[in-house]
Amino acid sequence: MDGMPLSMVRPHVSARYAGQPSEHGKRTPGAGAISRNGLLQVTGLTKRYGDDVALSDVAFSVDAGEVLGLIGPNGAGKTTLLETVAGLLPADSGEVAWLGRPLPPHRRRETVFYLPDGVRPYQDQFVAHVLAFFAAVYARSDAQVADAVAAVGLAPVLAKRVQSLSKGYGRRLILALGLLTPHSLLLMDEPFDGFDLKQTREIAQTLRQVLGEGRALMLAIHQLADAEKVCDRFVLLSGGRIRGAGTLADLRARTGLPAASLEDVFLALT
Amino acid sequence: MGLRAPLRPLLVKELREILGGRALWAMLLLLCPLIGYSFFQAAALYGEASSASSDSPVLAHGLSPLDGVLVPSFGAFYVAVTLLFPFVAIRALGGEKETGALRLLVQLPYRPSTLIAAKLMAVLGAWLLASIPALSALAIWLMLGGHADGFETLNLFLGHLLYGLLVGAIALFAMAISESAATAAIITLAFTIGSWVLDFTVAGRPGLLAWISLLSLTQTLHTFEQGLLSIGLVLGLAAAICGFAALAAVWLPPGVPFNAKLVRSVMCVLAMAIMLGAATRVRSSLDVTEDRRNSFSITDQQALARLGGPLVINVHLVPEDPRYVDLQRNVLSKLERAMPNVAVRLTGDRQTFAASAGDVAYGEIEYIYSARRETTRSTSPREVLPLIYGLANVELPSAVATDEYPGYPLTAKAEPALLWFFVVLPMLIAVAWWWTRRAPRINPRYVHQGGQP
Repeated sequence: MDGMPLSMVRPHVSARYAGQPSEHGKRTPGAGAISRNGLLQVTGLTKRYGDDVALSDVAFSVDAGEVLGLIGPNGAGKTTLLETVAGLLPADSGEVAWLGRPLPPHRRRETVFYLPDGVRPYQDQFVAHVLAFFAAVYARSDAQVADAVAAVGLAPVLAKRVQSLSKGYGRRLILALGLLTPHSLLLMDEPFDGFDLKQTREIAQTLRQVLGEGRALMLAIHQLADAEKVCDRFVLLSGGRIRGAGTLADLRARTGLPAASLEDVFLALT
Repeated sequence: MGLRAPLRPLLVKELREILGGRALWAMLLLLCPLIGYSFFQAAALYGEASSASSDSPVLAHGLSPLDGVLVPSFGAFYVAVTLLFPFVAIRALGGEKETGALRLLVQLPYRPSTLIAAKLMAVLGAWLLASIPALSALAIWLMLGGHADGFETLNLFLGHLLYGLLVGAIALFAMAISESAATAAIITLAFTIGSWVLDFTVAGRPGLLAWISLLSLTQTLHTFEQGLLSIGLVLGLAAAICGFAALAAVWLPPGVPFNAKLVRSVMCVLAMAIMLGAATRVRSSLDVTEDRRNSFSITDQQALARLGGPLVINVHLVPEDPRYVDLQRNVLSKLERAMPNVAVRLTGDRQTFAASAGDVAYGEIEYIYSARRETTRSTSPREVLPLIYGLANVELPSAVATDEYPGYPLTAKAEPALLWFFVVLPMLIAVAWWWTRRAPRINPRYVHQGGQP
């Protein structure tokens, strides 16, 4: 793979984790986080801000074709984790590997694209110009731009300036930019923030379509109800540590709550 | 997907960003009255001097549009670039940094150096736009019948261009290391206004202070305003621009650890220092003035160029002495340009002007060539050059009749220019601003049937 851009190495899309039988039994908190056929493997990731430990020995993997939910309350370290994985924050220790090979921070952008929360990019520019910029950078056709516009319902605001967009449309713009990128793994921070119930369903459907293109998603979500509907597998994060990982069935088995919701499971584990 | 994305969309985006902000347009509007009034005043004073010279051809010979009109008009532009342009340049990066869009930008398939280069190109575009009022002053001067020598004018423009780019590069670096545009503005203004402080407080002082005063950004412009195209200075400015841009590129990516950035910065600063040191050794310069004010006569230049031996000049004056300023302007700077090997020693540089009063040798200038020496107190080339020829044992070159600088007196009414600068040009700028703000025509292929709400 030397000399070849990592994103050119397309992973085989494996069966989704959702609904698959899982191993039950006694596990460590991080068990279930690492998959041997993972697209992205993160091990021992630690990040400190002075004396404060934002992430402590975090380990998990993302498999091809899955939606991995990074679940945790505000301040759990979700954004720090996503930005560290994306190479936008330097980690104190830990490794990130892509298809089993080490992926140094400066090469993360070849395989992973991170869509931050609360960003309203290029405020003085028109939405159409921002989309055209990303499309030109990634050599996307007009038809692909149209697909992205249609997928997130951005058509009514194409001629508006970014600064005049509502929170929801601002979020749609970020999603559209993510759809225009060719990366195998998209990291999204609070993708449903600013959407109502119906819009959340529409966007979740759009994200599912993304998976059909052989990509994987890692979503940081603090709304557990949304996460439960969208994600195949979960990494529960609290206080910078992984408290549990796996499918909902795995987590229910671990907590001994067979009919529990993700919220109940999360409360039981944290 | 290596780092091979096309540059054009990035450049277009950067230009749109800088045009989309209000800072550039506000600066343009402020430049109109600033440059307009400077030009009007300069043209009026030049006209008065021209009127006085109508009875005296000797006075007319001294009338140079470069000094009389162009430098003062561009001087207002310099003030605006010093005080206002940092805010325009900071915006090229500040918007993305403050809104968090930088986290998207650095994930795009461009190297940090490419991102900064594109931003510097956008800053250059903004500077060119901002130079329109100054260029319009030049156009009005020509329309009024004024004279402007092409080389002099281009050299002056080049000086301002390099100064603008240097301010822009410093601003980008300041924004790269700052979290907010306000902090970046303070850092950039510390460089630009700090240069004024250096000019006012330590320029002309001896020793270390003299060296510190050379760090002033404004000193760089003076050489161009004097009509000198110094290759070393151009290279030095280019090195400084590249150095600050490189530092900005080092500090741009948020994912690089602080210590790594620090190490890379030290390497950048060292490389910049080496390039600046090398640039100071390049002593070639061209006198692009029409009146050849920075050179001796052609025959003297040729005769002096043939003197290969080292000429040592011991100047017993303190730098702030007006006689030293005269000597520097009329003799030393010209000798340094004309002769291949000149060493000037300021023997009074540790004295103060007041302390030198009782020193009988104070004011003497000693010239040493081929182990022979002569001393004089003159600061005029008419006395100094024969002295040097005598030391070198060569004959005085015979004077050759050359076209004498005629001077370009012009008494013109510049009042109509005020209408241009205070009414017409601001209106045109307002229209251009509105034109950039209008809603774009949406590519119809961006909206297919599925794209409808």
